[in-house]
Amino acid sequence: MFDYLEKQLPKLIMAPTAIVMLVCMYGFIGWTAVLSFTKSRMLPQWEFVGWAQYERLFANPRWHVALDNLLVFTLLFIIIALLLGLMLAILLDRNIRNDGALRTIYLYPMAVSFIVTGTAWKWILNPGLGIEKMVRDLGFTDFEFRWLVEPDMAIYTIVIAAVWQSSGFVMAMFLAGLRGVDDSLIKAAQMDGASTFRTYWHIILPVMQPVFFGSVVILSHIAIKSFDLVQSLTGGGPGYASDLPATFMYTHAFSRAQMGLGAASAMVMLAGVMAIIVPYLYSELRGKKS
Amino acid sequence: MSASTTSHRLYKALFITLLLVFALVYLAPLYVMLTTSFKGIEEIRNGNILALPTTLNGSAWSKAWSSACTGGDCYGLAPYFWNSMRIVLPAVFISTVIGALNGYVLSQWRFTGSNFLFGALLFGCFIPFQVILLPMAKLLAWLGLANTVPGLVLVHVIYGVAFTTLFFRNYYVGIPTELVRAARLDGAGFFAIFRHVFLPLSAPIIVVSIIWQFTQIWNDFLFGVVYSGPGTQPITVALNNLVNTTMGGKEYNVDMAAAVIAALPTLVVYLVAGKYFVRGLTAGAVKG
Amino acid sequence: MGSIKIQQLTKSFGDTEVLKGIDLDIKDGEFLILVGPSGCGKSTLMNSIAGLEDVSSGDILIDGDNVTDLSPKERDIAMVFQSYALYPTMSVSRNISFGLEMRKVPKAEIAKTVADVSQLLQIEHLLDRKPSALSGGQRQRVAMGRALARNPRVFLFDEPLSNLDAKLRVEMRTEIKKLHKRLGTTIVYVTHDQVEAMTLADRIAVMKDGQVQQFGTPYEIYNNPANRFVADFMGSPPMNFIECVVLDDKLVIESQGEKFELHINHGERLKQAGVETVILGIRPEMITEPKPHVEGALVHSIPMQVDVTEPMGPDTIAFGQWNGTEIQARLSPEAGVEAQATGHVKVQVDTSKAVFFDAFSGARLDA
Repeated sequence: MFDYLEKQLPKLIMAPTAIVMLVCMYGFIGWTAVLSFTKSRMLPQWEFVGWAQYERLFANPRWHVALDNLLVFTLLFIIIALLLGLMLAILLDRNIRNDGALRTIYLYPMAVSFIVTGTAWKWILNPGLGIEKMVRDLGFTDFEFRWLVEPDMAIYTIVIAAVWQSSGFVMAMFLAGLRGVDDSLIKAAQMDGASTFRTYWHIILPVMQPVFFGSVVILSHIAIKSFDLVQSLTGGGPGYASDLPATFMYTHAFSRAQMGLGAASAMVMLAGVMAIIVPYLYSELRGKKS
Repeated sequence: MSASTTSHRLYKALFITLLLVFALVYLAPLYVMLTTSFKGIEEIRNGNILALPTTLNGSAWSKAWSSACTGGDCYGLAPYFWNSMRIVLPAVFISTVIGALNGYVLSQWRFTGSNFLFGALLFGCFIPFQVILLPMAKLLAWLGLANTVPGLVLVHVIYGVAFTTLFFRNYYVGIPTELVRAARLDGAGFFAIFRHVFLPLSAPIIVVSIIWQFTQIWNDFLFGVVYSGPGTQPITVALNNLVNTTMGGKEYNVDMAAAVIAALPTLVVYLVAGKYFVRGLTAGAVKG
Repeated sequence: MGSIKIQQLTKSFGDTEVLKGIDLDIKDGEFLILVGPSGCGKSTLMNSIAGLEDVSSGDILIDGDNVTDLSPKERDIAMVFQSYALYPTMSVSRNISFGLEMRKVPKAEIAKTVADVSQLLQIEHLLDRKPSALSGGQRQRVAMGRALARNPRVFLFDEPLSNLDAKLRVEMRTEIKKLHKRLGTTIVYVTHDQVEAMTLADRIAVMKDGQVQQFGTPYEIYNNPANRFVADFMGSPPMNFIECVVLDDKLVIESQGEKFELHINHGERLKQAGVETVILGIRPEMITEPKPHVEGALVHSIPMQVDVTEPMGPDTIAFGQWNGTEIQARLSPEAGVEAQATGHVKVQVDTSKAVFFDAFSGARLDA
């Protein structure tokens, strides 16, 4: 009897996690999915309306602004953060032996919450008193930098703040990757007469491919989930010019009593994340087996 | 000195300058936050954002800590700072313990379906939380935990366990299974092996897990804003309210002092144990 | 006390059957070696004896008690692992005492056992160190010490020497044999190294594809192999396998364009069975330079072209060709030098210990 228990112990230990995971992840996803097909508003209602909430969602101009913003934000954020992170990593890797202090500086924003980041950049980008005033004080009295309050530009302030916060992470990933490159590979390339640039371009960067993919996945994941940064930096404004799906969902589900619509938008977000994550996880888990 | 070494040195100097310039850019927001927090309102209005404060004025800090208005109340950030602590500490502890045991099972005591379980859990690291916000609110209400600190602890534990399990599983998977076999022959059971063999090996990954969970939960805003009530808000929510409360004029110095206060615990953790912080970050992407 | 009886043991992982009905009878105090190529099931069999893996069917009895469903700790078995599996955070002395501690042995007794064992294995000066501060050989000793301290009914050794360098491996081999002689405890020892198997074992079980091919003493296995696989696996340099036409009651060998007839034991039987071709199995040491004092009907003199020689020290292996197959002969160093220089040698072939296999199945024809 005791022996039997001992044998089942591993399963018993995993059981609570498995059950909670089943309910609070997969069950809840299902619940939200079902909700998105009902006409729920303030409270859940189980009157099914088919795809009506999705139709309403995609007829909503605000949702389209959020989607457009997400596209612009994600692309710019990922590209800039990748380039910046990769550049810093390469510069650090070959030039400075004792890079602890610099690395610490590039990465510290990652330890700070998005709310703090948003608060700080909101002040720096403040049209009246921030960078604009600083440059004007230097004598360029016509200088204008008021992205924060310009509907067309507000989304770019979010890009700036997000890049500031996350590019250090990309740097850390690439630096770890670069330091892991087999030294004999670089030596062999140099013996073959390759220049430093060519060595990086043809030898080292191709080896970095997994790091590259990993970074893209994590960054796009950060981008899709971004909520706090928008909330604290622009509040989705001016108007709803810098809304993202995450803020759209929050506003409709919790402030505007549009539960069904909020659920539908959440499901679209999930679909977006899955489109990126599932192939990635699949290849990661499969790749490890072979 | 040959031409090539000269140009090599030139490049090197250029690169290092570039790195230093970037370092200044990355440091600028922190610098601005700190300097602004010590300035008076007049100085802020008339002066340059990059200028050092003329006098060290700590009044914005004391106001941010104890009397600034965050929405309706005007008690400063202090009560919310302690709220966050009351949420973070138990949530970090519980999720780390559960993650360690889960990781131990998933790496060393595999059973039919355990790999599937791990895959399903891994996926949980990536779901956008928006998709569980509504039903979780229902569940908390049903449990009577809506707007309470224990409710927030529970939410953070549930969605943090996926990460802590991942950390411990990937760490323990590197420990040869023969160790468990040897210990079983020595007469040790499931928990004895964990306590005597695995726990003593786990210091680094425990640190990684604690730091990761600490920063994640301390910095959380989404769960905080959705599942907390007036008296139980975490510091991020309070900070956001403080900044957006516009009674009287905007006090940027108080905003900045408040932002630094909210960032301080995680910054301290980062400075003290940065190495482990980076490990946690990269562990999320590079799986073993 | 530690006799082991294994009856019709099978083990499957999904659709693949790794143990296909194993029967072994191991006497108390015996040194049994499980040997075979990787993937033959020897490690699975050992883990099943240890209780670290569940079996699909069949029984394992230790001292007559059926232990098939018992957990490892209840079987009173100790094991030495290939990787040593020392607890990395514990000192050497705690590594040795951990098993006793888990079994709630009194402290004083534990201290005495640790002292005795460490003295026996000459690791007293290492007791306070962590495993990471030990050399490979020292780790090996500690791993053995951990097993010894428990004083179990049976020791299991899972390729314990394969991580040591060649010299140390030979030293430890001897030491293990001495230890067994002194303790007299049953040992089941897994290896893929046939030299280890030959030198250590009281009895050897040669395994392949989840089945025991032959179970016998080293002498039986070497001189009277059950089939071509066993004959090929045991012995280094390996046995020569030459496909020969049966002519009456003799075998035909073709060398350098000439044909020679070989007289053999059991020639009559081959003739009566009507076998046309047969695989002749003959060990290299039976193909030597002419030795004047060896004579008889089964001793022949056949020329051999020498392609390559490999001097081993005590003797030299010469490679040539008979019947279109590469063969190895074992020459004296002097004969080896000459063979290398001239490119051919006249060898003496003694078929008294030759064995014969079916050309297709590899089964023994003369046994």
